[in-house]
Amino acid sequence: MGNDDHALIRAVLAGEKDSYGSLVARHSQSVFRLAFRITENEADAEEVVQETFLRGYRGLEGFDARANFRTWIYRIAMNCALDALNKRKSQATVAIAEEYDSQQATVQLADEAAGPDRLLLSREIEARRRAAMEKLTPTERLAFVLRHMEDRSTDEVAAALGIAPNSAKQAVFRAVQKLRQSLAPLWVKS
Amino acid sequence: MKHLTEEELIDQYYAEDSSKTGAEVHLRACKQCAEAYDELGRLLGSVRAPEPPPRDSEYGARVWQSIEGSLRPYQPKRKRSYFRLPQLAFAAASLVFLAAAFLAGRIWEREHVRQVVAQNPQQIKERVVLFVLDNHLDRSERLLVQLNHASVDGDQAGLPLQAEARQLLTDNRLYRQSVAETKDPLLAAALDHLERVLLEVANSPEDLSSADIERIEKEMNTQGLLFQIRVLRAKVSEQETNVRASRKGATI
Repeated sequence: MGNDDHALIRAVLAGEKDSYGSLVARHSQSVFRLAFRITENEADAEEVVQETFLRGYRGLEGFDARANFRTWIYRIAMNCALDALNKRKSQATVAIAEEYDSQQATVQLADEAAGPDRLLLSREIEARRRAAMEKLTPTERLAFVLRHMEDRSTDEVAAALGIAPNSAKQAVFRAVQKLRQSLAPLWVKS
Repeated sequence: MKHLTEEELIDQYYAEDSSKTGAEVHLRACKQCAEAYDELGRLLGSVRAPEPPPRDSEYGARVWQSIEGSLRPYQPKRKRSYFRLPQLAFAAASLVFLAAAFLAGRIWEREHVRQVVAQNPQQIKERVVLFVLDNHLDRSERLLVQLNHASVDGDQAGLPLQAEARQLLTDNRLYRQSVAETKDPLLAAALDHLERVLLEVANSPEDLSSADIERIEKEMNTQGLLFQIRVLRAKVSEQETNVRASRKGATI
């Protein structure tokens, strides 16, 4: 796969523009999945995919032949996704979820036996998770998405973020800590 | 017993198989840490990745179609294309020609200077000989003119003919011997004739009378010798001019 990618890249740089179409077809699904998991919005993810491959094409001359194209395009996708998030935040009209309030949680989860309550709990957890994710720094968020949701190894996360493996591990750790602080009371109450 | 920290628990949760050793052993032994680890597992397990909406197999083609129009093809890098351009090829050829001409000039000059240097000692020697000989013939001519005038005027008082003749005689012997080695019979004969005249004048008495001078003139044919000397002087001057001209040409 990697060698095929490199052959296609050489062809693109030699003037065969259509070879880039093969690279897009090969990686667009995974880029979309990553973009969606970061943005958690289908339209944003679609936009991120297009922007990613546009930037990738324009920067292809700077691609290091020793690197992995998927890792390289992932980094571009993450940057595009972060840009989309920042854009969305600046345009947001709805306030991000508030800080966790144990009193409020107690009230919300008073009845925990019935099925609808379970559904309510799931929704609450999801809302808290999303709120907590919004509070993560870009590096923490991306590290967590790649490690927890994309199941990438620490080395892969580090390579994608362009940081040292230990820094990637620390970023994941801080993200989990923040999520735990937001979600743990729900679990205790449930 | 030292319990696992939160960081160690998280690290254990995400750790790759190869690094799940020490913490696993502790979790089997420590109930408190095992409960904390289970709680962490439940919490992180609830944080599920939002499932992306499915994309069909044509999704990549659609993405490509949406961006294709705004992409310009890369220009292939032509490593040697510069030399294919006619202008640059002409310039390169001109440079090569100029360099070749310059080098050829340098080589020719070096060889030519070497030849000139090799020729110079011979030419310099020839020039010195011609210059000295011309000077000698000039002095000899003047002496003969004085001698002829003295015979005509009949008055030679005050003319240091003998002393001049003695000086010229010494020089003349040297020149005659030198010229004898060359293949110039005319000059050799003239110098020989001149030597005899000079010898006669030099050995004549101090109070050289007009009769003595007339006798010498007649016996030694000094008029003829004077003509010979003048012809030789013209010839020597011409040779000297030629040598000087050739030297200038070589230098330039």
